[in-house]
Amino acid sequence: METPQKEIYRYLGMKEEAADEKTRFLVADCLRELQEAAKPRSFYRVYPLEILPDGVLDLTCMRMRSRDLGKNLAGCEAAVLFAATLGAGVDRLLLRYGRLAVSRAAVLQAASAAMIEAYCDGCNERLREEARAKGFFLRPRFSPGYGDFALACQRDLCRALEAEKTVGITLTEGGMMAPSKSVTAVIGAGRAPASGEEEGCGTCEKRDSCAFARREKAFFGRGAADSGKSAADSGKSGGNDGSKGCVKGADPSV
Amino acid sequence: MGVRDVLKERILLFDGGTGTLLQKAGLAPGELPEVWNVTHPEVLYGIHRAYLEAGCDVILANTFGANGLKYHPGAEYGLETVVSAAMENARRAVREAGRGYVALDIGPTGRLLKPMGDLEFERAVSLYQEVVKAGVRGGADLILIETMGDLHELKAAVLAAKENSDLPVFATVIFDAGGKLLTGGTPEAVVAMLEGLGVDALGINCGLGPEQMRPLAERLVRCASVPVIVTPNAGLPRSEGKRTVYDVGPEEFAASMQEILDLGVSAVGGCCGTTPEHIRLLAKRCAGKKAPQIAPKEETVVCSYASAVTIGRDPVIIGERINPTGKARVKQALRSRDMEYILREGITQQENGAAILDVNVGLPEIDEPSVMEETVRELQAVTELPLQIDTSDYKAMERALRIYNGKALINSVNGKQEVMDAVFPLVRHYGGVVVALTLDENGIPPTAEGRLAIARRICAEAARYGIGKKDILIDALCMTVSSEPEGALVTLETVRRVRKELGVKTILGVSNISFGLPAREQINAAFFVMALQSGLNAAIVNPNSAAMMRAYYSYRALAALDGHCADYIRALGAGVTGVGAGGAGAGTGKTAALPADATGAAGEEASVSQLAASVEHGLKDQARRAASQLLEKGMEGLAVINDCLVPALSRVGEGFETGRIFLPQLLMSADAAREAFEVIREAMARTGTAAGKKEKIVLATVRGDIHDIGKNIVRVLLENYGYEVIDLGKDVDPQRIVKETADGRIRLVGLSALMTTTVPAMEETIRLLRKEAPWARVMVGGAVLTPEYAAQIGADAYCRDAMASVRYAQEILG
Repeated sequence: METPQKEIYRYLGMKEEAADEKTRFLVADCLRELQEAAKPRSFYRVYPLEILPDGVLDLTCMRMRSRDLGKNLAGCEAAVLFAATLGAGVDRLLLRYGRLAVSRAAVLQAASAAMIEAYCDGCNERLREEARAKGFFLRPRFSPGYGDFALACQRDLCRALEAEKTVGITLTEGGMMAPSKSVTAVIGAGRAPASGEEEGCGTCEKRDSCAFARREKAFFGRGAADSGKSAADSGKSGGNDGSKGCVKGADPSV
Repeated sequence: MGVRDVLKERILLFDGGTGTLLQKAGLAPGELPEVWNVTHPEVLYGIHRAYLEAGCDVILANTFGANGLKYHPGAEYGLETVVSAAMENARRAVREAGRGYVALDIGPTGRLLKPMGDLEFERAVSLYQEVVKAGVRGGADLILIETMGDLHELKAAVLAAKENSDLPVFATVIFDAGGKLLTGGTPEAVVAMLEGLGVDALGINCGLGPEQMRPLAERLVRCASVPVIVTPNAGLPRSEGKRTVYDVGPEEFAASMQEILDLGVSAVGGCCGTTPEHIRLLAKRCAGKKAPQIAPKEETVVCSYASAVTIGRDPVIIGERINPTGKARVKQALRSRDMEYILREGITQQENGAAILDVNVGLPEIDEPSVMEETVRELQAVTELPLQIDTSDYKAMERALRIYNGKALINSVNGKQEVMDAVFPLVRHYGGVVVALTLDENGIPPTAEGRLAIARRICAEAARYGIGKKDILIDALCMTVSSEPEGALVTLETVRRVRKELGVKTILGVSNISFGLPAREQINAAFFVMALQSGLNAAIVNPNSAAMMRAYYSYRALAALDGHCADYIRALGAGVTGVGAGGAGAGTGKTAALPADATGAAGEEASVSQLAASVEHGLKDQARRAASQLLEKGMEGLAVINDCLVPALSRVGEGFETGRIFLPQLLMSADAAREAFEVIREAMARTGTAAGKKEKIVLATVRGDIHDIGKNIVRVLLENYGYEVIDLGKDVDPQRIVKETADGRIRLVGLSALMTTTVPAMEETIRLLRKEAPWARVMVGGAVLTPEYAAQIGADAYCRDAMASVRYAQEILG
């Protein structure tokens, strides 16, 4: 799995081209260390989907109400529940460098956010191909925390996937995923391809306020407000804080 | 006959999977299986009976997921209810079948322990304790702790089982195909810790099929001195729609298990996907098979959460630096609970070749038990090296051993009866390898013979506690050669004879030898080599000393312990800064060289500009060297800070704010400045000068939030700007933040929250602060916050990044 450099810099709040030699060295070195520590794992199960007249989404293993997820799942008759994680080793690294070398911690944070994202993309691509062979079209993955898809649904998702046993994702009392570089998502499967926005932040209603939404120009334009944003505490990648590659941008401010 | 006796005679057979059978009977996805103990007792009874009829010896009561988190007092069914129902269903099956044993089945809590998750170690122990007590009341014959993926949680469960029952305790873990636990532990580490804790049998279950488990079973059998249990899944799980299916059928399963039995495994059974038919065929293979002979293994092993270190023919280095004796900076760090300094000392020694870290926090004026516990907790979060708990305060020793994530080295016991009476029970209870000093009530014997006699006595006394020779390291004691000319020879003779006559391994603190002599490293290194040649197995030395580490690597190469001299070349080969460069760099020492014009370092002025350039370029090693040079030239620490570091940091900060440089550069500069500050602090600690810090600021990540990199970044920047930060850590209760703020009359508090779900905790903290510490200003930041959101929850300032928090601190505190 290739972790895209461009994404790492995006999470760091800068363009790859703007990086000096030292920054490049640091990014490369962190990525090397990260690759040793990361143990990506994923798991999925397919459930039938019924959208009830009152808008409730019934996946048989869980029921929820979400306008945005509903939009994403429109026209689907089944859904893949998906979980992925980079494992606890990455958190060990973040813990260590958070105490000892914050430059490294910030870069590792950004790199691991990019890595889990790329890993999920790879897994989803394979799922997409498998589904295609069976006559299904998959929707972009949609995680608790995107739009109005409640973070609280994380618990049901993890239970349905037995995530603790299958991939080693646990939830804290407050519902955060541990290990932190973890993702859960719902991926719709329909007989017809999706209409409209296929990828990225299309259906997320937070896209306008999100520093990491894929609005290349605005973001890289480095408007005053965005200039200091870093992915330092972010990168939960559709996971812990919900937002997608958008990843609510963790500025390191306090 | 008890289960322990069966294990001595024949193969012990466990039952198979329950989950799949329950689902077939109608258990809905997401439904808690233990509820069925109460609502569908007949189904559980039927499953248990089917397994007993299939021929198994042990059935697992349906209590795997039963714990106080899921079955809390507010839930529909309480813990006691589901556990006692489970026990009754199983007991009834055994009663009516006329044979079999019932195991109280204990699984993971479902939460990750701190620091990666939010569950406190002692909370985990008490959760398990509730289950154990209920199981004992329900008539369990044994306790099976299974499917554990984290060594720390496993330790909590075993302690709870041992401390609340006399039942046999079996423990099995779940490995991935590469032989690692979820949190990184290896089979060797698992065996070391579990045998130290005194389990009756250990092994592996779930996660893998018999084929994938075989090599891991082999590793367990190779290093375990207790019976090994193997209970695989019926192959690797595969998703088929919403069902998980397993493909290995009963015939194939039994055939694969035969190969595992042939490895010398003592107990077998099945996990997910296995059925009574799997067990029936397996029972046939086990029929009449005698229990394997288990040879006790004599390896001396300690371990951390992740890895095991064997102390044997290949000697190991124990880093001695975390010890306040004679080190002003360590004393200061311990008094002010400056954990970062201690952690850096640990990591530096690790980078320089230590295999184990000694931890000694003994200072007369501190609360040693609590500082020891905190130090161990913090160190084991950042390093995978095993620790040596070094204290003569038995309370401190016990608290450290209890929360230690693995099997520790314990320093020390000696021949005094009262010391043995205090230390050995702790070693027996928590496991560990104990350092035994060859001295007693009469002092240190002057002869090898005398020291040997004490060593013998210590080993005999240890044996009374069931502590074997492999868990003892004899310290032959090293006397100062300048005052005792024969001292070194006596020590070396003792080392040789302990190895030969007692067959016990040895350890030495090497540096004592040179007290009062010039060029101490020289004689230390020479003595070190002599000791190694005499058979020394472990040495407590300073790994940051190039001379010692060169001696060590040379010896290993010459003694054929370093294949192809690979370690020697890596440590001492050309192009490497060299062992003992003392890099506290945590892996970041390899930075580009400074521009030539800045490295000359002639006069003070040149050095000032060199330090400034090092900070601006984010070069840690150079920054540290440049700061040392300035101090050596007689510049005052405060002058270095004010004339050099502060202006450099200001330029970097402005560069960041104007968009000239980016976050990684800002932080590399911050890290470099921190190195320079550390050099200055060290010098000031030596001379007893006050650091002259600015005001205090309280920082915390709010309750429920376990991510704190952003907060850590802010901390480093604030400290670089001279503020004293009281860092309360992450997942911090509002009350604690308020108390610290009120008690210290703190004027500025910084709060961080990452998730929308934790912002309410931030709001609550602010509300309480307004009430109890109305003078305090509150700045907030973090992923989910915006200026509007911050205002809405009552914060005084929203800081979009770390520099913004520095600016706000300057505005409020000056």
